[in-house]
Amino acid sequence: MSKYLYVYTLSLQNVLQRRASLLMDRVGGIATLLALYFFWSSIFKDSATVAGYPKAQMLTYVLMMSLLRSLVFTGRGWEVVGEISSGRLSNYLIRPIRYLGYCLSLDLAQKTVHCAAAVFEISILILVLGAPFHIPQSPQTWVLFPIIATFSTLLFFLLEFLVASLAFWTSESGGPLFCFDLLVQFLAGAFFPLDVLPRALQAALYMTPFPYLVFFPIDVYLERAPTEMALKVLATQGAWLVVVGMAAATVWRRGLRNYAAEGG
Amino acid sequence: MPAIEISDLTKEFRVPEKNPGLWNAAKSLLRRRFRAIPAVTGLNFSIQEGELVGFLGANGAGKTTTLKMLSGLLHPSSGTANVLGYTPWQRRTAFQKQFSLVMGHRTQLWWELPAQETFRLNQEIYEIPDAQYRATVEELVELLELRDCMSIPVKKLSLGQRMKAELAVSILHRPKLLLLDEPTLGLDVVMQKKIRQFILEYNRRYRATILLTSHNMDDVVELCPRVILIDHGRLLYDGSLRQVVERYAPHKVIRADFNEAVSPVELARIGRIAQYQGTRAVLEVPRGEVSPRAADLLTHFPVADLTIEETPIQEVVRRLFTQAPSKAAPRG
Amino acid sequence: MNVARLRQHFKIWLRIAAMSLSAQLSYGLGSFGFLLGKLIRLFFFFAYLLAIFRHTDRVAGYSLHEIALFFLTFNLIDIVAMVLFRGVYAARRVVEEGDFDYHLIQPCSPLFRMAASNVDFLDLATLAPVLALLAWAGPAVPGGLDPWRIGLYALLLANGIAIALALHVFVAGVAVRTQELENTIWIYRDLMFLGKFPVDVYAWPLRWALTFLVPIGVMVSFPAKGLLGTLSPAWTAYALTLASLLMAASVWFWKKSIAAYTSVSS
Repeated sequence: MSKYLYVYTLSLQNVLQRRASLLMDRVGGIATLLALYFFWSSIFKDSATVAGYPKAQMLTYVLMMSLLRSLVFTGRGWEVVGEISSGRLSNYLIRPIRYLGYCLSLDLAQKTVHCAAAVFEISILILVLGAPFHIPQSPQTWVLFPIIATFSTLLFFLLEFLVASLAFWTSESGGPLFCFDLLVQFLAGAFFPLDVLPRALQAALYMTPFPYLVFFPIDVYLERAPTEMALKVLATQGAWLVVVGMAAATVWRRGLRNYAAEGG
Repeated sequence: MPAIEISDLTKEFRVPEKNPGLWNAAKSLLRRRFRAIPAVTGLNFSIQEGELVGFLGANGAGKTTTLKMLSGLLHPSSGTANVLGYTPWQRRTAFQKQFSLVMGHRTQLWWELPAQETFRLNQEIYEIPDAQYRATVEELVELLELRDCMSIPVKKLSLGQRMKAELAVSILHRPKLLLLDEPTLGLDVVMQKKIRQFILEYNRRYRATILLTSHNMDDVVELCPRVILIDHGRLLYDGSLRQVVERYAPHKVIRADFNEAVSPVELARIGRIAQYQGTRAVLEVPRGEVSPRAADLLTHFPVADLTIEETPIQEVVRRLFTQAPSKAAPRG
Repeated sequence: MNVARLRQHFKIWLRIAAMSLSAQLSYGLGSFGFLLGKLIRLFFFFAYLLAIFRHTDRVAGYSLHEIALFFLTFNLIDIVAMVLFRGVYAARRVVEEGDFDYHLIQPCSPLFRMAASNVDFLDLATLAPVLALLAWAGPAVPGGLDPWRIGLYALLLANGIAIALALHVFVAGVAVRTQELENTIWIYRDLMFLGKFPVDVYAWPLRWALTFLVPIGVMVSFPAKGLLGTLSPAWTAYALTLASLLMAASVWFWKKSIAAYTSVSS
């Protein structure tokens, strides 16, 4: 365990040192946040409730979405693709460290820094713009939301790992990964809440794992759903974790066999 | 008129000073301190049209920097250069159409596409008329044995094939001046030979001026009657290759075979022992004392056979650049 | 630049475009994935806008067709800039790997080479749906379309593309100069997200910044306003002046950068 902790601290320093690229990543997040925040603000100038959201709830959705983007969507997909395609993966395979654990440690370091930055940005926005921000009232939410957010993070990590594994079979897996990254953001509700969509479309989306990454976690945070609903979200996330985890493991094993057969 | 004439050419690079530590990093964000690093200092030489000149120096001596100034990539800090009647860093179209720079470790060929695609691109860039283009390509393909390589994606070519294609694409416009930076880098011996033959052929056929840098002494020995040596950005020697040896090799080499094993201790009085195998030895003897020492050797040792040779050029140049610059004898 | 030189550059551009296309086609799956991703981004964003207008009929005083017009104009300029100036996205790599050395010593404008060195025809494919949607949203603007407004729209579109070009030239200059600044272009791309909505939705400091500081608003919102007939002559004049100033400044900066170019050590 301690070696993963070591990788984590090392990577933490690395992320902090590469300030230029950190700044760049944050600028992207801030631009998205500001655009959507003001977009919704201007809608609420004319009406008190939109799509069932009062103003404070909708703006909190946008702010929390920014936080969850930093927590959930900072995967290692592109790095994994790079390491498989270039053959650098071999460096890890011959060492006594599990690649998945290694990636997760690196990713956690990224997430730590990005979440801290997101919390900072959101606080500034609340202070400067006087953004109305919903703070959960019930103690259950304070317990459940962190667990649900953690599950979301793991679920995305595994989903992206699954797509990145395509690199074992084609040197051009960047294209599919690019599609996946964009598609996931729209289907997860990371730009707009899913309940602005027509009902039939929502129902179809809820059958997929994507809404469990951002939309449902924020729903729980906003306490729009009763506690039983929150528990159901958690259970469904768990089920998806098992399914996606097994799929990722199987694909990865097959991929490795393919990788070894081609001599890395 | 000389093809290249440079006087007092000097280039200093300004590099930001980097001090370790977070505090210093933060300070340098506000105000950067720069340090001037001289790459080339007061360089003078001139090269006549049609000459083939070797441009030698240790790593970091300033060869590539000089070539880059001659091709107009870099502006010098001071000094002037006249290349084919132009000031290179003004980058006039008429000048650019008359020269080419080939860098052995790089390629301008498009990686994913067959070489002929980049050939066509250069045809447009250099505005080569169709008829001349076809004739040149035909000639180059013949000379460099490129026929099979033209329609294969560049990434699938061997290093040697790629270098030949690189040379060909660089001289499509029949440049009057070729600047070659390490043209045989990383190639096998056979391929090196082919590239050298081609360079020589191009020089003869078009009276092209060629300036060439190489770490490979075979390139220089086979191609360049004249060499320019630089060290730490300064001119060290400019003259014929033969004279480099006389001037910079203080020793001649005596090879001797003996009828029976001789004592290395006694041999040491003849000269420095470079090699010793009992009945065979290679000795270095100061140039002025070759005759008396050879006589001594013949009289006092059971010599079976003996030759006196110059130090090989490779060896001389290698020593020149591994020695400290102050010891490297007078400037030429 | 005389006519012969323009002709030469146009032919070079065609060559590079054809070569880029065949290089792209050799990466079928990869290129197709990127194209599909861009279409996904366009369609989903548009679909969400449609969906949101089921719950409200005005955003910052604009109707669905008007908001769509802003969003589509943003895409139009963004895509054209991507197709034409795509090479700048690889500027750091071009400089770092030394390809830029070849651009500098060849008889072809290095700035042209830098910008055009990677024409992306697949991006051009994303232009078709944008134009189709514009044909749907355009005629619905209040007051209808008259030739005068369409002319103003075209002028301001060209103006927006000129501003985009100037920003790309700045970025290319930075890449030539520093060789280390981590992709300034991505900051530009990130900020461009703000252009998806009309600048009017933003609070004044941000609106001010987008009009004067990082003129994304002038680039993508002004043309749509021109078409809607809500852009005053004074603002039109400002937009045209800004573009000319930025172009002049960026070319000056580029020339300075070239003179300070240190090439990469081999």
